[in-house]
Amino acid sequence: MADNKMLIKFFIASESIFFLMLILAYVNFKGTVVDGPTAESSLNPYVTGIFSLFLLASSLTVWLAGKSLRAQNHTMMKVWLLVTIMLGAIFIFGQGREWAGLIEQNITISRNVFGTTFFTLTGFHGFHVLIGLLMLSILLGLALFGDFKGPKSDGVEVISIYWHFVDGVWIVVYSVIYVWAFFL
Amino acid sequence: MSSRIPLVPENTEPLPSLKGNQGMLAWVSSVDHKQIGLMYLIITGVFFVIGGLEALLMRIQLAQPEMDFISPEVYNQLFTMHGTTMIFFVVMPFLIGIGVYLVPLMIGARDMAFPRLNALSFWLVVFGGILIYYSFLTQSGAPDMGWFSYAPLSEKPFSLNKGPTYWALGLLATGIGSIASGLNNIVTILTLRTAGMTMRRIPLFVWMILVTSFLIIFVFPIIASAFAMMLLDRLLDATFFTPAHGGSAILWQHFFWGFGHPEVYILILPAFGIISEVIPVFSRKPIFGYEFVAGSTVAIGLLSVGVWGHHMFAVGLGDVANLYFSLASMLIAIPTGVKVLNWIATMWGGKIIFATPMLFATAFIIEFVMGGITGVAIASAPIDWVVTDSYFIVAHFHYVLYGGSMFAIFAGIYYWFPKFTGRMMSETLGKWHFWLTVIGFNMTFFIQHFLGVMGMPRRIYTYQDFPYWGSMNLLSTIGAVVLALSVLVFMWNIHVSLRRGKKAGDNPWNAWTLEWAAASPPAVHNFDLVPPVRGRRPLWDLAHPEQPDEPNAKVVD
Amino acid sequence: MEKLGGIFNPSSPEMEALAGLTYYTMATTLGILLLIVAAMIYIIIAYRKKPDDNQEPYQNFGNLNLEIVWTLIPCAIVAVLFILTCNTMKVVDPPVGDHEPDIIIIGHQWWWEIRYPKSGVITANELHIPAGKYMLARIESVDVIHDFWVPELGRKIDAIPGHTNHMWIVAGEPGLYIGACAEFCGTQHANMHIRVIAKTEEEFKEWETKELVIPPTPRSGLAGEGAKLFQEKACMNCHTILGTAAAARVGPNLTHLNNRQTIGAGVLTNTPENLKKWLTNPQRYKQGSLMPNMKLSPAEVDAIVAYLEALK
Ligand code: HEA
Ligand code: HEA
Ligand code: HEC
Ligand code: CUA
Ligand SMILES: [Cu+2]
Repeated sequence: MADNKMLIKFFIASESIFFLMLILAYVNFKGTVVDGPTAESSLNPYVTGIFSLFLLASSLTVWLAGKSLRAQNHTMMKVWLLVTIMLGAIFIFGQGREWAGLIEQNITISRNVFGTTFFTLTGFHGFHVLIGLLMLSILLGLALFGDFKGPKSDGVEVISIYWHFVDGVWIVVYSVIYVWAFFL
Repeated sequence: MSSRIPLVPENTEPLPSLKGNQGMLAWVSSVDHKQIGLMYLIITGVFFVIGGLEALLMRIQLAQPEMDFISPEVYNQLFTMHGTTMIFFVVMPFLIGIGVYLVPLMIGARDMAFPRLNALSFWLVVFGGILIYYSFLTQSGAPDMGWFSYAPLSEKPFSLNKGPTYWALGLLATGIGSIASGLNNIVTILTLRTAGMTMRRIPLFVWMILVTSFLIIFVFPIIASAFAMMLLDRLLDATFFTPAHGGSAILWQHFFWGFGHPEVYILILPAFGIISEVIPVFSRKPIFGYEFVAGSTVAIGLLSVGVWGHHMFAVGLGDVANLYFSLASMLIAIPTGVKVLNWIATMWGGKIIFATPMLFATAFIIEFVMGGITGVAIASAPIDWVVTDSYFIVAHFHYVLYGGSMFAIFAGIYYWFPKFTGRMMSETLGKWHFWLTVIGFNMTFFIQHFLGVMGMPRRIYTYQDFPYWGSMNLLSTIGAVVLALSVLVFMWNIHVSLRRGKKAGDNPWNAWTLEWAAASPPAVHNFDLVPPVRGRRPLWDLAHPEQPDEPNAKVVD
Repeated sequence: MEKLGGIFNPSSPEMEALAGLTYYTMATTLGILLLIVAAMIYIIIAYRKKPDDNQEPYQNFGNLNLEIVWTLIPCAIVAVLFILTCNTMKVVDPPVGDHEPDIIIIGHQWWWEIRYPKSGVITANELHIPAGKYMLARIESVDVIHDFWVPELGRKIDAIPGHTNHMWIVAGEPGLYIGACAEFCGTQHANMHIRVIAKTEEEFKEWETKELVIPPTPRSGLAGEGAKLFQEKACMNCHTILGTAAAARVGPNLTHLNNRQTIGAGVLTNTPENLKKWLTNPQRYKQGSLMPNMKLSPAEVDAIVAYLEALK
């Protein structure tokens, strides 16, 4: 049997470097903006903070889904998967709302280095969340069609590892963008 | 004799095979590591000829001062594509490809851990190559900003053509493919070793592939994110690397070389692996200091991620950074020297058979050390201030890349060709190839050290008639023609050997690693029975039961 | 025999230190290479398999002491090389302190703008310095990355947009030192030469005074016509000529073009003939240059050349 979990762990190690670079780019330009918007002048840490809580909660629910599977409780697994997807979707909605608000004020990726680094970093994170949502939906679909008899499933475990990673990255991103700008 | 050890777990689905249905579709849809490996080798051969022809055109333009053979625009596209091709579509995929072919065989596995992912990696590399070469057909031509694509020259205001966009997209695709094969190799090596094949017993080639794979998965994301930023700059007017809009030109350099320096070790470590297999077999001795050769590889891997600034000495990073990067770069000489000396010690006291693979391996040591010592010289920041961006650098990296990687690649091809095809390559043509290569290579590149210190910058499509520049460049061009001749001899050798080569048998060189226990070419499932592994040289142990490598090794079943 | 250039003709104290370090390092490392080659030759002769010897040789797996020795020796060599590096760096790259730059060198695609902030002289592609005197240069770029390199005088240094660098320039003896842009900067990177002209202190002063003269604009004759054309043909959109309305910085300052040795950063020697050729079609001599073909008629070219020649 090929070791799927080992693969995803090394994959995540590799992805971490990718995000590290985006974060370093953000940090490199932080404080160099001479005119135009900055994190301090254009973001709202509280609204985004609340949407972040949904993403954090989804980490818990995906764990519960796995736990239910191990306990052979298929109904609960499906329920937790669904909840996870919904929580993730709410987070994405929050991101979309924030982006739309910024774009309305003409703060875009081409406006200045803040726009460039902010949209790139949150954009790539959001892209990863979307991929995760897609995979979770496929999982849920397969589960609804009766797949995953348990008690173990590489598919469920691998995707939940990935989901935790996406979540973890957000904690770092939120700290670098919002906490640093508003609470330090 | 103990019982033979059964196979590693079989894949359940049947895979397209080398034998039987030979249609193109079988190849294109193949997920067999041997077929994919061979496809890598073929495609890199094609790219090598293309990249070589680009080099030849450049050399013709440079043969005399003020030549009018190629326009500056085309010349700039040529060296950009030559460098990009040779690095990303020749040496790197060749080494990955030969690894994909050999690693499962060497560790006694049936296939890679993820055969489909393996196919995906390969096709992504091909796709990336096609995407980049497609740019020649666009109106504005191929990328022309050099293989490290310094910002802001590669940015929109200064490169309005589409070349750099194709370049970044193509390399992004190729890079994702490489990350996937790195992951695949790591999991394969860590989980699919046959019984008894502990990490202390895997062939050194496998060690090198393992370390290379770790480098790949940790440094390709760096360049992937830089490519993403560059593409955002070019397509959505982001401002990462445009100083005029608050971006930073130097940031790109940090990103590129943060990847780029480890990349050059990605290009040489598997080559070291090939040398570490060839030298013992033809010296009829085990590798001297296995632990040190493997351990120094890990040391090189670790050091390599901390030295990128030596490509940026002229940027003005400040004395502290310059000194740090100088020291760190020089330190790499130490683990590399350990390897070189262990190879020499392996040959010492042996009974050396100078077949073509060994000729290339022997010459590799000398040519690579020549490139390595100029590397150590330019690692000293003040020396680099003299020679950076001059032909001295061109000489340095062709010595390590051609004299190093390519010599090892040739050694590897001559060594494993019998395994890949069941036929031997011609020794006569092999010797012609070897001597033409040695002469042509040194003639082309040795003289360039002097051109560099005499003031010839690199990447110039023409030069004025300064004393001796014309004759020295002419010599270099003649060398390149000899080198091209050597490549023709090599291709001819492959051509005739495939048809009329001597039948090889399973183990023509009396080698000791597991791939030689399989048939030539190996059956679809690689092994009927994997020989017992109770040491580093399973086939030696089989042939010399009275003198096993590890007399006290426990038998594992 | 012609003289070898570059590192073989070091012409400043910096370059002498750099050449010394390079020779020393190359000698040491070439010594290592020679030892290895010697070992290989010995091996090739002594350990070649004899045709009828089918015995396997003694199987030697390694030797810890040897490994330690050949780890420590390179360590020692590296330590020596590093100390030499540190020492040379001190000589070649003396601290700038709070000196004001004597020269500002600005890279353009594909020519050099040179300013003397202390006197106000502005010229292009030619750097005049008094021999023997340390001049502090600030290096900048307006577009892409260039690199200032005069092989006989010393180190290279990048001209990077958004980042200023400093370096000391000194020439030991009066003379002409030819350099070039070393960082690839686009189509005409190959033709971005720089000439350093080191003179005696008096000659330098004299040159500086000459450069500062604002020449009178000719009003009549061919040159006068040229002066008019210069304003009409949009030359003034890119060039500066002191004492006229032309004050743009896209192309080189042409006020004292007369005093310069070359045209187009080294593609043509500066003679009236060549100037005519250049103005007729600069793209022919420097393909891709940012000076467009102005489609001047031969008569117009003659007039403008007469004008530029008349500026004294
Ligand atoms: C296979 C690829 C490869 C390899 C292995 C190396 C190996 C090394 N390289 Fe090279 N390098 C390149 C490929 C490679 N390089 C490329 C492609 C570029 C140019 C990119 C571009 O600009 O286009 C480059 C450029 C480059 C530069 C930047 C030059 C510039 O642009 O200004 C520097 C500077 O430090 C450098 C240093 C080194 C060093 C210290 C090593 C060391 O790893 C070498 C170590 C080996 C030895 C030293 C020999 C064996 C050792 C002994 C026998 C022991 C005793 C020796 C001593 C104690 C000295 N390299
Ligand atoms: C592994 C990498 C590799 C390899 C193998 C080579 C191989 C060669 N390189 Fe390359 N080179 C680079 C990597 C490599 N190079 C890089 C990274 C750069 C920097 C690019 C940049 O600045 O951006 C560079 C730059 C570079 C330059 C500097 C250009 C410049 O700065 O202006 C030169 C000039 O001489 C050169 C020459 C050559 C030559 C003559 C060969 C020869 O060895 C080639 C030999 C092969 C052939 C000649 C093919 C022959 C095949 C045939 C003849 C078959 C004919 C077939 C048919 C007719 C069907 N190379
Ligand atoms: C669009 C801008 C532009 C216009 C218009 C232009 N030039 Fe230029 N010119 C340049 C640039 C840029 C260079 C530097 C070219 C190089 O060396 O690559 C240059 C170089 C020159 C030189 C050589 C200077 C030297 O020191 O090497 C002369 C002489 C010259 N221009 C004259 C003229 C005249 C006369 C006209 C008008 C008929 C003109 N230029 C119009 C941009 C322009
Ligand atoms: Cu300016 Cu190269
Ligand atoms: Cu490097």
